[in-house]
Amino acid sequence: MRITRQLKIIYMLLKMKLSRNMAFRFSFFGVFFVDGSLFLIQLLMFSTIYSQVGSIGGWDRSQMLFFIGTFSLINALNMFLYFFGVISIPGKIKSGELDLYITKPVNSLFHLSFESMDIGSLPLVFASIGILVYAASGMHKQITILTIIGYAFLVFMMLVLYYDMEVILRTIPFFVIQASSIERLEGEVITLCMKIPGTLFKGAFKFLFYLVLPYGIMATVPTQFFAGTLTLVGFVYSILIAIAFTAFTFAFWKLGLKCYKSASS
Amino acid sequence: MKKYFETAKVLFKAQLVYRFDTITSIIFTISKVFLAYVLWGAIFGKQSVVSGFTFNSMLSYYIISSFINQLDQSSSTGWQISNEIRNGGFSKYIIKPMNIFGYFTAQTAGVSAFLLFFNLTAAVIWIFIFRVDFAITSNGWYIQSASVLILLGLLFMMQLNYFIGILAFKFLDTGIFMMIKDNIVQFIIGSLIPLALLPSGIIKTMTFFPFYYVSYLPTMLLLGRNGNEIFSGIVILLFWNAAFGLLISITYKRLKSRYDGVGI
Repeated sequence: MRITRQLKIIYMLLKMKLSRNMAFRFSFFGVFFVDGSLFLIQLLMFSTIYSQVGSIGGWDRSQMLFFIGTFSLINALNMFLYFFGVISIPGKIKSGELDLYITKPVNSLFHLSFESMDIGSLPLVFASIGILVYAASGMHKQITILTIIGYAFLVFMMLVLYYDMEVILRTIPFFVIQASSIERLEGEVITLCMKIPGTLFKGAFKFLFYLVLPYGIMATVPTQFFAGTLTLVGFVYSILIAIAFTAFTFAFWKLGLKCYKSASS
Repeated sequence: MKKYFETAKVLFKAQLVYRFDTITSIIFTISKVFLAYVLWGAIFGKQSVVSGFTFNSMLSYYIISSFINQLDQSSSTGWQISNEIRNGGFSKYIIKPMNIFGYFTAQTAGVSAFLLFFNLTAAVIWIFIFRVDFAITSNGWYIQSASVLILLGLLFMMQLNYFIGILAFKFLDTGIFMMIKDNIVQFIIGSLIPLALLPSGIIKTMTFFPFYYVSYLPTMLLLGRNGNEIFSGIVILLFWNAAFGLLISITYKRLKSRYDGVGI
């Protein structure tokens, strides 16, 4: 499909979702308040720790703040764009509702992912940018346009990787009846990796969070790039990981569709 | 009293059906201890004591605190109440010849009692896995006082979650309140970091509120610290429990008329 057509479909889905959301004004900004409080608490936690220590694993207060802002930004964009669509996949597989998507002349994964965009998450994107700007001002580092472009590019790649991981874990229900434990595992790992920079993991845990479940690199790599501590190998590695996981995601999804039993029909 | 005990017993037995769920939720308690292990491992690489904690006592703090927090299952009860009100299922609790809050408390107590053994096992396993020189006190008075505080704290959390749950009479969907509450509570009860790390003025203010005594103080007592706060802790928790009891009673009386039992 051509990109313009995809963008047109996204725009249409966004409009439809917005009109549906307006019917429930009270929970419209729900994600903003919920995730906003989560990241606020995280900021408080690290501020408290930094009041006692100078650095954590070589990261000073500003770098850590930038790390939290980056994770918050990736999470907010995820919430805005595809989170609510992707999390509905297991339910639709189980109920057979997926039939409606695979019979439409649109890529089923694309439709499922972007049909539930959440406008209420947008303020969280701006709040995250606010955290990033504040953290960057404390870094005493000359920021060039190249730094910003490189950082934005890496955030985009990590957003793709985040999407891949979400879809992979929600494709598993094609093969097993109940996969709620896998989703809980995802929740625990994300909570862990948004609190600890990947550089703190050592040995087997580094292997686990840099390769098998690469949540460890998602906010760490863009932060390292911005701070000027990312090596060329690290830069190339993170891009290769995102590409490899994307290729695997599409192949896995196709395999899943082949195993789909359409429970309701 | 017997009917509440029977309710707790039924829920205790019902947990046996969800064995896999129970085991996974216990396994996931490792994440908090692991987080502490990695984070504080990096911090203690450069200094040996932070706010009176050594690396060992810090890990002991997280293991004990995870154990206590895992006993609190009232958050899911709050969600359940809210959902039942929204979909009309709450009617079945109204016609039960039992006090509704008592019923939900007994239900939650049954689940917590079931998890007690598994949590204890998990805590012991984490001690061995992370090779922690576990720093628990042998002072009987501290252990007894911590137990009393834990029970009062669980009752308070039950009341708090029940209160948010019944707000569904007015707001229908209290999910947002519940999630925000969960985010804030985990910080103010000292589940994320020991409250001793906060500035003294903030700690002083927090001692007037119940959250300080729900998990933080019992954990510190089990580590053999803060013994001078036992009496005030029990009094303050009793006060907050009584205050919330009253608040729940008034709120329920005022809001129940809004319930229309949709869906039945």
